[in-house]
Amino acid sequence: MSKVVGIDLGTTNSLVAIVRDGVPIVLPDESGDTLLPSIVSAGDDDAVYVGREAQRRLLTDPARTVYSVKRFMGRGIEDVAGESRWFPFKVSGQAGGVIHIHLGERELTPPEVSGFILRELKRRAEAVFAREGDFDPEVDRAVITVPAYFNDAQRTATRDAGRFAGLDVLRIINEPTAACLAYGLDKRHQGVIAVYDLGGGTFDISILKVEDGVFQVLSTNGDTHLGGDDIDRLLVEQIVGELGLDPATSGAAVQAIRKAVIQAKWDLSDFDHADIVADRVAGRAEAYRRHIAREEFETLIAPIVERTLQPCRRALEDAGIKADQVDEVVLVGGSTRIPMVRREVERLFGKPPHSDLNPDEVVALGAAVQADILVSGRREMLLLDVTPLSLGIETMGGIVSKIILRNSTIPASGSEMFTTFVDNQTAVDIHILQGEREMVADNRSLGRFKLRGIPPMPAGLPRVQVRFQIDANGILSVFARELRTNIEQAIEVKPSYGLTDEEVERMLIESFEHAQEDVEARMLIEVRNEAETIMQATEKTLRRPDFDQIAATLLTPAEIASIRTALAALAEAISTSDRALLQAKSQALNDGTRHLAEVMMNWTIQSALAGRTADEVASKGR
Amino acid sequence: MQPDTSAITIQPCKHCGTQAPVDVHFCPRCDRILTLGRHGDYFIFFGLPRRLHVDVQDLEKRFRAFSRQFHPDYFYNSSSAERLASLERSSYLNDAFRTLREPVDRLEYLLKLEGFAPKGAHEATSKVPPELLEDVFELNEQLETIQQMRAGGAPEGEVAARLEAARQPIQTNLDAHETQLSALMTRHDAQADSGDAAGRLATLDALRALLVERTYLTNLLATVRRELGGGQAASV
Repeated sequence: MSKVVGIDLGTTNSLVAIVRDGVPIVLPDESGDTLLPSIVSAGDDDAVYVGREAQRRLLTDPARTVYSVKRFMGRGIEDVAGESRWFPFKVSGQAGGVIHIHLGERELTPPEVSGFILRELKRRAEAVFAREGDFDPEVDRAVITVPAYFNDAQRTATRDAGRFAGLDVLRIINEPTAACLAYGLDKRHQGVIAVYDLGGGTFDISILKVEDGVFQVLSTNGDTHLGGDDIDRLLVEQIVGELGLDPATSGAAVQAIRKAVIQAKWDLSDFDHADIVADRVAGRAEAYRRHIAREEFETLIAPIVERTLQPCRRALEDAGIKADQVDEVVLVGGSTRIPMVRREVERLFGKPPHSDLNPDEVVALGAAVQADILVSGRREMLLLDVTPLSLGIETMGGIVSKIILRNSTIPASGSEMFTTFVDNQTAVDIHILQGEREMVADNRSLGRFKLRGIPPMPAGLPRVQVRFQIDANGILSVFARELRTNIEQAIEVKPSYGLTDEEVERMLIESFEHAQEDVEARMLIEVRNEAETIMQATEKTLRRPDFDQIAATLLTPAEIASIRTALAALAEAISTSDRALLQAKSQALNDGTRHLAEVMMNWTIQSALAGRTADEVASKGR
Repeated sequence: MQPDTSAITIQPCKHCGTQAPVDVHFCPRCDRILTLGRHGDYFIFFGLPRRLHVDVQDLEKRFRAFSRQFHPDYFYNSSSAERLASLERSSYLNDAFRTLREPVDRLEYLLKLEGFAPKGAHEATSKVPPELLEDVFELNEQLETIQQMRAGGAPEGEVAARLEAARQPIQTNLDAHETQLSALMTRHDAQADSGDAAGRLATLDALRALLVERTYLTNLLATVRRELGGGQAASV
């Protein structure tokens, strides 16, 4: 039977997971990586690269490489005006319409670009099944996660992305809820749980009540434009400013700096100090190096962390829960590794958050659990989510009349009665909005439609009931019925920032025309990924603050020199397309660092044991 | 408990054609989920008597149990008629739960069911209920004085104290209304239990009048709060 998977389609990384023998697991690629960088790049030959290879191309060919596409899903060009100059790729589009992202020579919509990422995950899962000798490895259905605070257009765009990848999207579920599902499966939690989810590009807070296996979301809040990306950009802006670079003309330099600040950001989660080190900064012979202390970093990011706390307070208020009534706090998203974030969350809720599961993987695991529930018919768990934003329609004077209130459990429905203003009027224009504000202009326009086919009658006599249905995915559909004649009207909503079904169909046909697979290119990518993994591991070891101290006692200078030589040789090989050479240099570095790895492992064990009594060690050993 | 005959109607199961009572959720013969009948009400839907006091924990339990029966997650492999029925029934369940969980929403809903909806849509907000005329007059006078004080540059502490003094009688009145509402709701339930139909209708009428006043008082308090907030913002 064909397979179903759970997918976390993230701003920075994406993952695919399945449930096997009742246990959710994340599927790795051929080199053992579970994270697929959400990056898509166009080669000169029109080939499309996804993941690690695309990530490398971000440094060599930034103008043809797209990252953080999730930030563009379901949005208009006017929404991203402020930040788009920091992206090396070009975006275009008309105000009030769909964004177009320039991927090489092609202009694609965000769902199409995301579709490449989903297709890669589908291929990864199928490869795993095929390797295991499955006769029918095809994956054709998926549960995909989205930030809880995604609006209708962003959810619909995600579903469209699934279609572009040849996946039937069974369900769209919210990331924090998915995380909770993954935890609940593990530990059978009861009580009130707060899920704080700070990812690459989005922030969500959800308050859930878990009882009898029912995961009921009480409230959700967040910001679909707040995450680790913003921290990176702050750091990049700081450095670019210090260097006096113009981001518009120095794409490659900005990307090199971006890579360096991300590394420093990670380092600062483990150490009090870090160096921002970049090779490829325009016009410089020597490598760029700048020291950054954790205090400086925290001063810089404090406003971003603060921006996450207000939604938390609002979510608590909407749930009718006080911070100290929350039984457990769960952290999700890579940005929750930042010590300052943990500290602030702990202060707000008055208890230490826990993160037993890998915060990068927990969402995908939950998606797999939900996928399994859908296809297996298992009933021991049920997820009841809410709609994050109120839904309404425009009424006289540009005011919004709310029909379904935010934090309503979904599925939810609401209806509104319309009539005519002039005799024999046969159509009424209806404008659908999402948001909490009073005035139309301050809310998100979801779409417009014309209610047609109203029987000609004197003004005010027709009674047209329009029913708004939000399904379990948080996606809206609209039905209408004229009550006097009982005629059901067909409604085609023109989405403000989305694609119509016909547009999706047409684009699907075009994408098949472009589809091409290059086996040799794929094999090269796999070898490169392996090379990259070992390079990163080695570099990380060499960068440790205590490395010199360890090396002085346990390694010879000649050994360290030969490791550095092998590392440099591999770094050189990685920029070529010579697969055999790359494989050889990878092997050489792997062999050359074997002793280093042993030394580091022993050192770690020694320092873990240091300070304990001999008895403790003995009893542990037994 | 008196049977509510007005709600009993029949609808055919789309799968096997069995004539099923409109208020059951699953077909008595083939056990498939039924299309939502249009005549049900929230109380009947939950299998609860039409009362103003509801055990919220029991309601939550019923809600979770029904969610496990109706939710679209469990109908992925079912016919499109069942999928639609599951979607509609789940939506209705969620609406019903939200309404019956909150005492005031529950009261408003029951009044509507019994034909006690406010006569005009604006009645609750625009026209001052006669019983409150004196309160409203007093508050408006106070607010005017306070605005003058503020314009004259009076210290914010003084203004706040004055506002609090103006707020206090409204709050006291609101508290009295809450107590009265609660007592009337208890009386309503007792009359419903004993089958005192005429007494029950009189109680509902009194409840409606009280509810209109309560809404008005809540709006007045919101006005005072806004004034207080505006004062704080202005003092910064």
